[in-house]
Amino acid sequence: MGEGGTKPKFTIDPDSAKFKLNEIVVKHYKEVQEAKDRGEKIGWCASNFPQEIFQTLGIKVCYPENQAAAIAARGAGQRLCEISEAEGYSNDICAYARISLAHMKVGETPEQNMPLPDFVLCCNNICNCMIKWYENISKELGIPMILIDIPFNPDYEVSDAQVAYVRSQFLAAVEQLEEITGKKWSDEKFREVMDISNRTSRAWLEATSYTKYTPSPLNGFDLLNHMAVAVCARGTIDAAEAFETLLEEYKKAVKEGTSTFRAEEKYRIMFEGIACWPHLRATATGLKSRGINMVATIYADAFGFIYDDFDGLIRAYCNVPNAMNLEHARDKREAIVKNTNAEGLLVHTNRSCKLWSGFMYEMSRQIGEDCQIPVTSFDGDQADPRNFSEAQYETRVQGLMEIMETNKGGKD
Amino acid sequence: MTTLNKLLDSFHEIASSPKKQLDAYLSEGRKVVACVPVYTPEELIHSMGLVPMGAWGGDIELKESKKYFPAFICSIMQSILELGIRGEYSGISAIVVPSLCDSLKCLGQNWKYAVKDIPFIPVTYPQNRKPDWGKELTKVSYERIIRDLEAATGVIFSQDALARSNKIYNEHNEAMRKLSEVLEQHPSITAVQRRDIFKSAYFMEKEEHTALVCQFMEALSQVVETESKLKVITTGILADSDGLLKIFDEHGLQIVGDDVAHESRQYRIDVNLELEPLEGLADKFSRMDHCSVLYDPEKKRAGYIVDLAKKHKASGVVVLITKFCDPEEFDYVTVKRACGEAGIPVIQIEVDRQIVNYEQAGTMIETFKDMF
Repeated sequence: MGEGGTKPKFTIDPDSAKFKLNEIVVKHYKEVQEAKDRGEKIGWCASNFPQEIFQTLGIKVCYPENQAAAIAARGAGQRLCEISEAEGYSNDICAYARISLAHMKVGETPEQNMPLPDFVLCCNNICNCMIKWYENISKELGIPMILIDIPFNPDYEVSDAQVAYVRSQFLAAVEQLEEITGKKWSDEKFREVMDISNRTSRAWLEATSYTKYTPSPLNGFDLLNHMAVAVCARGTIDAAEAFETLLEEYKKAVKEGTSTFRAEEKYRIMFEGIACWPHLRATATGLKSRGINMVATIYADAFGFIYDDFDGLIRAYCNVPNAMNLEHARDKREAIVKNTNAEGLLVHTNRSCKLWSGFMYEMSRQIGEDCQIPVTSFDGDQADPRNFSEAQYETRVQGLMEIMETNKGGKD
Repeated sequence: MTTLNKLLDSFHEIASSPKKQLDAYLSEGRKVVACVPVYTPEELIHSMGLVPMGAWGGDIELKESKKYFPAFICSIMQSILELGIRGEYSGISAIVVPSLCDSLKCLGQNWKYAVKDIPFIPVTYPQNRKPDWGKELTKVSYERIIRDLEAATGVIFSQDALARSNKIYNEHNEAMRKLSEVLEQHPSITAVQRRDIFKSAYFMEKEEHTALVCQFMEALSQVVETESKLKVITTGILADSDGLLKIFDEHGLQIVGDDVAHESRQYRIDVNLELEPLEGLADKFSRMDHCSVLYDPEKKRAGYIVDLAKKHKASGVVVLITKFCDPEEFDYVTVKRACGEAGIPVIQIEVDRQIVNYEQAGTMIETFKDMF
């Protein structure tokens, strides 16, 4: 993901985390295409579907959300959205879904291609919109859909009843996938995958936690790129090793006082919401030019799953940020703000994401009050470039910066 | 005034003044519980002697809700919250909010802070609702509603009372299904009047509504119809706006059947009375289908609408898309395609609780009518 297609070419150290992480993404798309070419059944998969299932079965899948983000970052979001709109999809629908449905229709998208699926794996712990999106793919292509339904949890803790419900679906999904692909489940392999996934998640979470240092050894926007690996390769040794390399690099950077944030870090903020992929450069520059580094984001938690056993795994998937109630979601964010000493909160009111934005006004008010930090929002979209105004963004970020400056006791 | 007209006036009066109904119940000492779309287990609430009242928002200006919701959340959610903040639900004991779409999830979370004096009771429905383990989650969720209602009102639940309420609701379902069939034979009943009958069901106890509907059907059976209209099916979440429905009437369109969530979708499935009452209610949800907020990988809803149009010999389908309702917006593509393949014309009209001028819809309906 990210702006890889537009950056000038230069040689990257093959032992660096950046190289390894990029290679994982390239390999991921390559392997799924090769599997398809061999005649294996491949799937499209929601970003927070329990990847332990198909990793254990040795089934290749790819991720429409990653693909849509990459397509949007490479400037083709509007073109793809308009293909879906011509089919009758409202431009109010999530732009990831519109891009994905357009790719399904055209079959080839040069900005980020991936093979069409033989089945879809859906999990709605990020939103119910996923269900509708995948239903339409399933119907259109005449392929099976497997849904692991993880209802939004109105309570703070995940109930035993919810765990029992999701566990049953997990087991049913294994059976369905065995039937679809002819591959067989192995408990031994499952334990191995769980171990690797935990190792990857631990490294990912520890590496991302390094934004707690002042100055941070990383530009927070780096995480947006690395997240693709946390999504698509969490259950692989390659990903575990790459994140461990990333962690070592951050440790070294802290020791040496270096950072991938190529400016003086004057202000530290939490960025809330999915990245504005079509305007990544504008949103990143708007911060960097003012010495604002994004040091806090819920993204890290969203793709780090730590658990001890099968039930723990189920609970972890029930406890992703978009499936939890306001109080739990708020407390998690406040802990991040405090841990990273974030001085402001910048909220992306994302037109594509009703769930993420639908109670964000109230939650961000509470975070601002509890943490005594200023809160500003801007209107944007994760993948449709038409829903963002750079002028508004600049004004809002400038306003946020001025309040942070005042709070530091600096000039008025 | 004839009995028929008196009944139509009653339906209209009740449908258009829910606050009056609420105040009347409260003045009688009754406790009232607000039920948010798309599906709430009203039977449970009714069985506890509480009055369930539908809360589907209203055609009002939004001001306070904008402090909680961004502009791209549908006007049903926005106006429910707006009414709550304005105090229109004052006196209500609790509000029950299912989380069947992303915006509904947000409504519940916002409600806790925007309307602090009315407790929020969540309904967690399983989308994989058909297997036994799905039904079990529905049942557990209903048990939680019972506990929350007991805490909010002090009233105690009993299975025997639920058995009686399940029966009352089944009878009401049957009456409403029959009503829809009967209305097909009566083009003189306008779209606005049809809406009034369906809408009034949300603001009175179901046994009373069943009685009124039965009286109405009896009175209607005496009416000899002389006119004929262009038959259409409506589909969507809501077909509530007077401004919009009057256009149906002005252009001679008759709604001969509907797949509207606020109307017939509520009445398709009965509780199996042979099961233990709470289990029966959970089982009812497991058998519900053909709805944009219920998992439907085969998109059977599209075929259902085609069959409905054929059954009622409708000339076309009017798709009323509630602005920003993504479940309906996704389904629209498959509905449009299925109708197209069956040779059934479709028009799509965007509806919103803030739209006051349906001029564009009028032009579309006029053009649609000219096709025949």
